[in-house]
Amino acid sequence: MKKLPALLMAGILALSMTACGGSQAPADNQGSADTKGAEGETTAAAEEEEITCDMLVWSPAEDQSEEFGNWLQTQCEAFAAEHPNWHITFSYGICPEGESAKLVTQDVDAAADVFMMTNDQLTDLLPANAVARIGGETEKYVQETNSQAMVDSLTVDGALYGVPFTSNTWFMYYDKSVFTEEDIKSLDKMLEKDVVSFPITNSWYLSSFYVGNGCTFFGDGTDNDAGIDFSGEKATAVTDYLVDLVANENFKVDVDGSGIAGIRDGSIKAMFSGSWDYQAVKDALGENFGAAQLPCYTLDGKEVQMYSFAGTKALAVSSKTEYPQVAVALAKYLGGVEAQKSHYETRNIIPCNTELLSDPSMDSDLLVKAQNDTVANTSIIQPFVAGMANYWTPTDNFGKSLRNGEVTHDNAADATEAWNKNMNTSVVE
Amino acid sequence: MGKKEVTSSMKARKFAANTAVHVILAVMAVIWIFPIFWVILTSFRAEKGSYVSSFFPKGYTVGNYVKLFTDTTILNFPKMFMNTLVIAIITCVVSTFFVLSVAYVMSRLRFKMRKPYLNIAMILGLFPAFMSMVAVYYILKSLGLSEGAMIRVALVLVYSGGAGLGFTIAKGFFDTIPKALDEAAYIDGCTRFQVFYKITIPLSKPIIVYTVLTSFMGPWVDFIFAKVICRANADYYTVAIGLWRMLEKEYIDNWYTCFAAGAVVVSIPIAILFIFMQRYYTEGLSGAVKG
Repeated sequence: MKKLPALLMAGILALSMTACGGSQAPADNQGSADTKGAEGETTAAAEEEEITCDMLVWSPAEDQSEEFGNWLQTQCEAFAAEHPNWHITFSYGICPEGESAKLVTQDVDAAADVFMMTNDQLTDLLPANAVARIGGETEKYVQETNSQAMVDSLTVDGALYGVPFTSNTWFMYYDKSVFTEEDIKSLDKMLEKDVVSFPITNSWYLSSFYVGNGCTFFGDGTDNDAGIDFSGEKATAVTDYLVDLVANENFKVDVDGSGIAGIRDGSIKAMFSGSWDYQAVKDALGENFGAAQLPCYTLDGKEVQMYSFAGTKALAVSSKTEYPQVAVALAKYLGGVEAQKSHYETRNIIPCNTELLSDPSMDSDLLVKAQNDTVANTSIIQPFVAGMANYWTPTDNFGKSLRNGEVTHDNAADATEAWNKNMNTSVVE
Repeated sequence: MGKKEVTSSMKARKFAANTAVHVILAVMAVIWIFPIFWVILTSFRAEKGSYVSSFFPKGYTVGNYVKLFTDTTILNFPKMFMNTLVIAIITCVVSTFFVLSVAYVMSRLRFKMRKPYLNIAMILGLFPAFMSMVAVYYILKSLGLSEGAMIRVALVLVYSGGAGLGFTIAKGFFDTIPKALDEAAYIDGCTRFQVFYKITIPLSKPIIVYTVLTSFMGPWVDFIFAKVICRANADYYTVAIGLWRMLEKEYIDNWYTCFAAGAVVVSIPIAILFIFMQRYYTEGLSGAVKG
């Protein structure tokens, strides 16, 4: 009697192990074959071979929501209609672009065939062998229809890993009734006039002051060994400026949503954020809504440009997809002109296709203009080398010390140097 | 004269001491209630956004609750709520049964593996459960429980499967029930299982209440396992994932007050269960054994 449970237990264990082995072994074999296939060229629709397959597509919830016109479903059906020989059953999952690295690498075999990512996720996706290289015709298409910066942000060691569909950065929102076109070119002029808020405790924003004054990330942004260079006089001078900025009574630190709350109640006249806050700012400012690229600030009498981090959001193809030719074609379609146009119309997702951007109707949209001016003039590509992982936490902390007044003119040099050292030290080592 | 003075000064001293104690208690109660009070206030706040400059809202509305239950195209809270409720009820039944059974066995029966099992259980209990989450995910996947509706089954398994290890408190309680009761029942012809449900269970209401409450709460408060197992399958999200989503940068400005409303709503089933179970807390052993 006593042996029965033991036997049962052993049976279940054995069963689960064979089930495990059974499902994993073939998937691994496909992986290598698929990656090669993904680089192959897509043939014209008419002569495509008959394929019946399932496609799992992951996107943020908004893309699949009725409220925004079921963008993803509509596009996928249009794609299927373009390829009569492919009999595709689509299924969808929810995965915001910024979360793809976590969700995909958790189980690469079960990941979506096509998913959306922000370009910095490549740092995690590539070592996990989770994304397929985009080659052939699609690679050419991406290169021809996007600015060089967009392509570069998705290229690692000469290989392209995604089809970009929008840029991702932050810029300035302001109240047009307070600041003139001339004012918004200089942060200091704006501060003289009225209240400006900036998220100084957020590392994604703080670097913008330093980059303008010659501080660099990993050489040109891709050389991991070069490290982050926020050392010496060029960084200390900026820290000194920031100490004064925090002390300025027209300056407010934007933290926990205080910026947007201030815009709403009128206590703040300009803030720095991205397209996700567009609707809220637009609702609050109405007619006076203004958006523009980043201003300059005055450092020891000379104008220094601020530079934000810019990245891309892109369609990526899983390295484990069973039908890479279908997946790559779908990624290309979802990042193509028609899809981007519809994305803009339904969800205000700013296109990055150069052809679409040259359309005059785009220029009249303040949001599109602000974001694209920022990407083109006042941003650097956010580096996605491994060392970048050490940048964020020390910088958040430095921002907090600035806000709390712990960094002063007296210790600015030492504090900046210590911060620079922390950024270049891996916490793991 | 003298005697009267003494009593009145004693009375005064007692009054002073009592006042001091009550003031301290009142202050502590306020501090303790503060965050909960604030969440409830926020859930009725009419102003949008996550940042406010005043403690009390400038306007009140029930719109946040309405939005929470009607605006379902992006974050389907009613569905998440039902998912969690179903999972919580099943988990509650299954794991309460596990816990009580194991505790009874450990308390009353003597067998060879008893001591080793107690040791193993204690050592396993020292490891945080989430250490195993990736392994758990792959085991569930190999059993075909990681896709579609089976995700709910997987979550029930995850929340109740390990319950057998959490028997210590119930076992301690069972140990206090006199063995004489069991023996009397055996003499009357009861089997072991009959002793369990006819004698032990009716005498252990407080510990059953405790077990039911903790196992019911598990699925409502767990985030990490739900996240790992649901992955991109939004149809099977539990409230914890939904509430977390509301605080992401794309949603926080619009959903922050709804998040507070959601937090209040989540506490309702737990509160109902607690109020219903509360009366059993005081019942226990009274007059079971005489002499």
